[in-house]
Amino acid sequence: MNVPEDLRYTSDHEWARIEGTRVRIGITDYAQDALGDVVFVQVPAVGAVVTAGATITEVESTKSVSDIYAPVSGTVVETNEDLADAPQRLNEDPYGEGWICVLELADEAEVSAMLDAAGYRALVDG
Amino acid sequence: MALLLSPLDAAHRALGAKTSPFGGWDMPLAYGQGTLAEHRACRTDAAIFDVSHLGTVRVTGSHAFELLQRSLTNDLSKITPGRAQYTHLLDPDDGSVVDDIIVWWVGVDRFDVMPNASNTSGVLAALGGDDVTRGRAILAVQGPHARRRLASVAPVAAEVGHFEVAEVDVLGAGCVVAGTGYTGEPGVEIAVPAADATRVWEAIVAAGVTPAGLGARDTLRLEAGLPLHGHELGPGITPLQAGLGWVVGWDKGDFRGRAALEAERARGIARRLRGVAIEGRRPPREHQAVTAGGEVVGEVTSGNFSPTLEHGIALAFVRPDLKPGDAVEVDLRGTPTPGRIVKLPFVKTG
Repeated sequence: MNVPEDLRYTSDHEWARIEGTRVRIGITDYAQDALGDVVFVQVPAVGAVVTAGATITEVESTKSVSDIYAPVSGTVVETNEDLADAPQRLNEDPYGEGWICVLELADEAEVSAMLDAAGYRALVDG
Repeated sequence: MALLLSPLDAAHRALGAKTSPFGGWDMPLAYGQGTLAEHRACRTDAAIFDVSHLGTVRVTGSHAFELLQRSLTNDLSKITPGRAQYTHLLDPDDGSVVDDIIVWWVGVDRFDVMPNASNTSGVLAALGGDDVTRGRAILAVQGPHARRRLASVAPVAAEVGHFEVAEVDVLGAGCVVAGTGYTGEPGVEIAVPAADATRVWEAIVAAGVTPAGLGARDTLRLEAGLPLHGHELGPGITPLQAGLGWVVGWDKGDFRGRAALEAERARGIARRLRGVAIEGRRPPREHQAVTAGGEVVGEVTSGNFSPTLEHGIALAFVRPDLKPGDAVEVDLRGTPTPGRIVKLPFVKTG
C-alpha cells in the first residue's frame, strides 16, 4: 500500500498536500483499491465553501458509491476537470493525476491536526 | 452462518481475488486487473467465471419429465434430451417468480436443474430431487473466442453448441457441459467434479482465458439485458411484468402459478421491465426513481456504468405505456438526469 511521506491523511482515506496557503486533496491508494474501478467522479464546484468532515464530492465505482469528505475547511479554488472523462485516474495515480480539487485553507491549524504518513499507515495496517 | 467456499477458493486466493458474500457463498468479485478489464476481456476475447454458487438439483426417474413440466413455466416438450431451457418456478398463488432457472436435460430420465444460489433450498422443496451442488464446481467460459481457446484444452467440450448439453470428458474428468451463460457472449458452462475443478480451471486459464469475477458478470449481464433474481425477478414480479412471456408455455397443460398468470394476462400488466440509457457516465442504482414530465413513472432495479457503451444503463420497472424511444429522467442521488427507454439488449453480441 503506497503512503507517501510528504502528505497528510484522514481516517476516511483522503490525502492532502500542502501548497502554501492551499491544499490539494484526493483519495488514498487504500481507498481506490477498496472502491474498485472508479467510473464517475462528481467534482465540487469552484467557489464552494466546505467544512472539514462534510461531504465534498461523490465517487462511484462499478460496485458502489462513496462520499468523499473535506479533510479541512476552505474554499474550492481549482478542480480536476480531466476526471469527467477519465475517472480511472483515481485508480491509476491516486496521489498524482487523480487529485480531485484544491482548497484555499480557512484555518491552517486544521492541517497539523491531520494524520502523518506513519499515523495513516498504522491505521490501514491495523 | 459461515459462508460456503467454492472448490476453487484456493485458486482464487492464489490469483489475488477480492471476494464478496453472494447468496451464502464467499465468491470472487474481481481479480487484480479489476472489473472493467475483466468485462472487456469477455466482450473481446474470453473470460472464465467460477459460478459454483449456482445450485444443481438433480431430478431423475421416469416421472421426472412430468414433474418438471407441471412445476415450471416453460414447455419442456419443445426440447429434447441433450438440450437446455430457461424457465421459471412460480408462486402458485400470485404467479410471481420464485426462481429463474436453467434446466439441463442431461439424459432421458435425468435433469440437472440450476437455481440461483440463494434459491436452491426453495427449488429443492418445490421439486424434490437431490441437491448435488457441493459435489461439483461450475466454470463458465464466455466470450467471442471462448470456444477457440477452450478447444486447446477440451476440444469436445468446446464443440457443445448454443443451449446444447453433453456429458464430456475434460482432462480425464467426467463433466457435463452446456452451451449456456449469463454474459450475452457465446460460450459454455462446465460442471466438473469438485476434486478435479482446480486443475481444469488452471488449464483453461493457461490457455489464455482471463479469470473474471462476479463484478464483471453483473455488468455483462446488465448490458445483455438479462434479469437477476432479487432485482428484476422475485416476490411480486411475474414473468409477464419482466417481459419474459416467451418463458411461459401457454400451450401446455396446467403448471404452478398458471391461473394467477392467466388472470394477469387478461387484465393487463401494471408495470413493465424496460431498459433505460442515461446521458453521462454516472451509474444509476437500484431504487432510484424514473420520471417523465415531472411524474414518477417507475423505479430502477439494477443499474451501472456500461463499460462497452461508456454511459449509464439501467433496468427499471416503468408504466406499461412507455415504449423504446420515450424520454425519461432518472434521479441520480438528487440529480435528475436525462435518459431514454431503449430496446434490450443494450449491447448486441454473439
